[in-house]
Amino acid sequence: MGNLNIIAIVMVIGLTIFTVGLAIFVRRFTRTTADFYLAGRKVGTIANASAISGDYLSAASFLGVAAAVYASGLDGVWFAAGFAGGFIVVVLFIASALRRFGEYTVADFAYGRFGSDRIRLVTVVMVLLTSLFYMAPQMYGAGTTWTVLVGAGLFGLSPYNTGVLIVSLIIMFYVMVGGMKGTTLNQIFQFWWLWTAMFLVVVFAFTAGSFRYPNALAEVTGENHRDVKTHTVAELTADDGALLAAAEGAMSEEAFAEVQTVVDAGDSEATAGVLVPAKNKLHTLRDMFFNEPGHRYNNFDQFSMVLALVLGTAGLPHILNRYYTNPSGAAARRSTFWVLVFIGTFYIMAPIAGLAGRQIIDNAWRAGAAPTNAAYVDGLLLKSDAIMPTLAQILGGEWLMGAVAAGAFAAMFSTTGGLLIASASAVGHDVYEKYINPGAPEIRKVFVGKASVLFFAFIALGIGLGIPAVGLDKAYPALIAMMVTWAFSLGAGAFVPMLLTGIWWRQTTERGAIAGMIVGGGGSIFFIFMNILKQLGHLGTEGLLPFLGSLTFPTLFTFPAAVLTIIIVSKLDGQLPKNVEEIWMRIHGTASERHEREMGLDKVGSMLSSGGK
Amino acid sequence: MASSSDGTVRTASGVQVQHGNHIDTIESVDVVFREQRKLSFSYGAVFFIVTLAIPAMSVWWKTWYAVPVWGGFTLNYLFVSLLYYLFLWGLSYTYIRKADALDERLSHMADEIAAATAVASVGGEQCG
Repeated sequence: MGNLNIIAIVMVIGLTIFTVGLAIFVRRFTRTTADFYLAGRKVGTIANASAISGDYLSAASFLGVAAAVYASGLDGVWFAAGFAGGFIVVVLFIASALRRFGEYTVADFAYGRFGSDRIRLVTVVMVLLTSLFYMAPQMYGAGTTWTVLVGAGLFGLSPYNTGVLIVSLIIMFYVMVGGMKGTTLNQIFQFWWLWTAMFLVVVFAFTAGSFRYPNALAEVTGENHRDVKTHTVAELTADDGALLAAAEGAMSEEAFAEVQTVVDAGDSEATAGVLVPAKNKLHTLRDMFFNEPGHRYNNFDQFSMVLALVLGTAGLPHILNRYYTNPSGAAARRSTFWVLVFIGTFYIMAPIAGLAGRQIIDNAWRAGAAPTNAAYVDGLLLKSDAIMPTLAQILGGEWLMGAVAAGAFAAMFSTTGGLLIASASAVGHDVYEKYINPGAPEIRKVFVGKASVLFFAFIALGIGLGIPAVGLDKAYPALIAMMVTWAFSLGAGAFVPMLLTGIWWRQTTERGAIAGMIVGGGGSIFFIFMNILKQLGHLGTEGLLPFLGSLTFPTLFTFPAAVLTIIIVSKLDGQLPKNVEEIWMRIHGTASERHEREMGLDKVGSMLSSGGK
Repeated sequence: MASSSDGTVRTASGVQVQHGNHIDTIESVDVVFREQRKLSFSYGAVFFIVTLAIPAMSVWWKTWYAVPVWGGFTLNYLFVSLLYYLFLWGLSYTYIRKADALDERLSHMADEIAAATAVASVGGEQCG
C-alpha cells in the first residue's frame, strides 16, 4: 500500500461533499426539461463563461497539458495553445448563429436546419461517440490521480480501478440530481478551484525553488531529450542489445545498474523502466531538444494536430449545448471572449507547470525527497500524467497536493458532468421526446434524462476500467491529452463541417450533411483505431495498414474530405428543404433579438428559480 | 396569408418573421448574412493564416524553431506558450466589438428594409 495523504484526501472529500450538496440544493429549482438540460436559459455572461471554462477544462487540461509538456516539450505546449485557439472558431462562425437558432442540442440544430429525422439520428450517434471518446480520458485521469493521492484500493480493487469507480459514482449521482442547473453552478465553482490550484502550483514553483522560466527552459534543453519507457528483458536484449546500449548512454550509472540487475537475472518476461534518447520525428537529422518541435509529431501531424485542436472545440457537443444557455447571440459572443481570457491564463500556466516538473521533480528525486506513490526512472516520472499531484506535493506538501487533487477531481466532475448531460439530452430529448413518447409529461421526460445519465455513467466506468486492460496506458507517453485530442478529431470531422456549411451555405442539403458527417466522423474513428492498433503493435511496420495507422491525428484529411463531400453531394442532390428561407431567417435573422432587447427580455434572471423556457 | 407561432408570416411577396414591432424579411436577413459573413470570414482568414503559419515555420524555418532568443525560449516556444494568447485575446476582442457594432447598425437597416418591403402587406397582423 502507498502512503495515505490524509490532508489531501480530506480536501478532496470536502470538495465532493460540496459538489453533491450543491446539486441537492439546486434540485428544488429543476422542474422542467429546459431547467434540466439548459438551466432555464438564464445563465449570465461571466457565469456562463466560467461554466463553459469548467466544462471545457477537463482532466486533459488540468493533468494532461502539464504532462504532455513534461513528456514532449514544445509538442506538448501545443495542446494548451490549440485548446484555447478553438474558441476563436466558435466565436467567429458558430456561437451567435447557434444561439439564435434557439434549440436544445446539436441534433436539434441538424433537424431544424435540414428537416429530417434521419439526420437527427445520425447526429445523435455522433454525439454519443464523441462524448464517449471524451469521457475515456476523464476516467483514466480519475484512476491515475487516485493512485498518486491514496495509493490504495478499496473492495479488493486496484488503486486505479477504485478511483475510476468512485469518481463515476459521484458524478452519476450529482448530475442525476442537479441536472444542468446543478452542473452549471458546480462547473463555475470547479473552474475557479482548478484555476486557483494551477495558479498556486506555478506561484510555488517560482517562489519555493530556483525555478525561472527562461533559465529552466535553457537548463532542461541543455541535454538531449529522453523518453521513459518500460521494456521486457527480451526487448532490451534484442538486436544485440541495441536498446540496452541506448539506455546505458542515457541513464545515470546507478539507475542503469538496477536495469542491468534485472537483465542479468535472465527472466525474459521481466520488465524494467529505462530512459532512451528521444528521436526527432520532424527534423530527423537533428537531435531532439525540449524546446524544439518534433518529439511527438512529424510534418503531417504538426499541421493535423493544430487543425484537430482548433476545429475540434467547435465540434464538442457538451460545449455547443452550453451556447443554448446564453440569453442572446451577442451574449454568446461575449461569453466566448471571457472564456478565452479565463482559459488562456490557465493555459499559459499549465506548460510552466510541465517545465517546472521536469526540473523540480528530478531534483527532488535525486535528493531522495520525491513522493513515493509515483514511479520514477532515474528521476523522471514513469507516467507523466502523475506530474501535477507529484509536483504539488514536492512544492507545497499535502495542502497543495490536496488543492491539486481536488482540482483534478473538479476537472473530471465538471467535464464528465457536461458530457453526461450532452449524452442524456441526445437520448432523452432527441430520441425519447421526439420519437418514443412525444406526449410524455415533464416529470417522465426528466426521469428519462436521469436514466440516460445513469446508463452513460456506467459505460464511462467500463471504458475507464478497460484502458489499462488493453495496454493503452503503456502505448502513449501522455495518454490523457492524446485521448482528448481523439475526441477533438472526431468532433472536427463529424460536426464542424456540418455546422459550418449549415450556417454559412444555404445550398447545403440534408443528404450532403449526412454524407459529410459519415465521411468526417467515420473517417476519424477509422484512423484513430488504426493508430491505436499500430501503437499496440498489432499492425506490424511494413505495408498499407501500418501506414494508415501512422496518422496520429486524421483531421488534415477528414475535415476537408467532409466539407468536400457535403458540397459535392449537396450539388448533386439539390433537394433543399421546402422552408429553407424560414430556416435561413431563423439562423441569421435578428428580429427576435431586437424585440427581446426592446422589451428587456435579454436580461439574465436567476438560475435559482424554476420553469425556464 | 399564413402565420405560425414563431412569428413566421407567409405573404404573397415572400416570408417574413415578426417579433413585436420588429420584422425580418428575406432581403433584410440577406444583408445581415452577407455583412456577418464578410466580418467572420475576414477574421477567420487572419486566425487560420497565423495559426497554420506556426507549424509551417516549425517545419521550414530553422531560426524560428532552433535558435534561442531569451534563455531557452526559441521564437517558436515563446509564441506558442505566451504570445499566441495575446493574439487570440486581441482578435476576439476586436471581432466582438465589430460584431456588436454590426448588429446595431444592421438592426436599424433591417427595420428600414422590412418597413420598405413588407410592412404594408403584413398590415397590423402580428404573430410574434
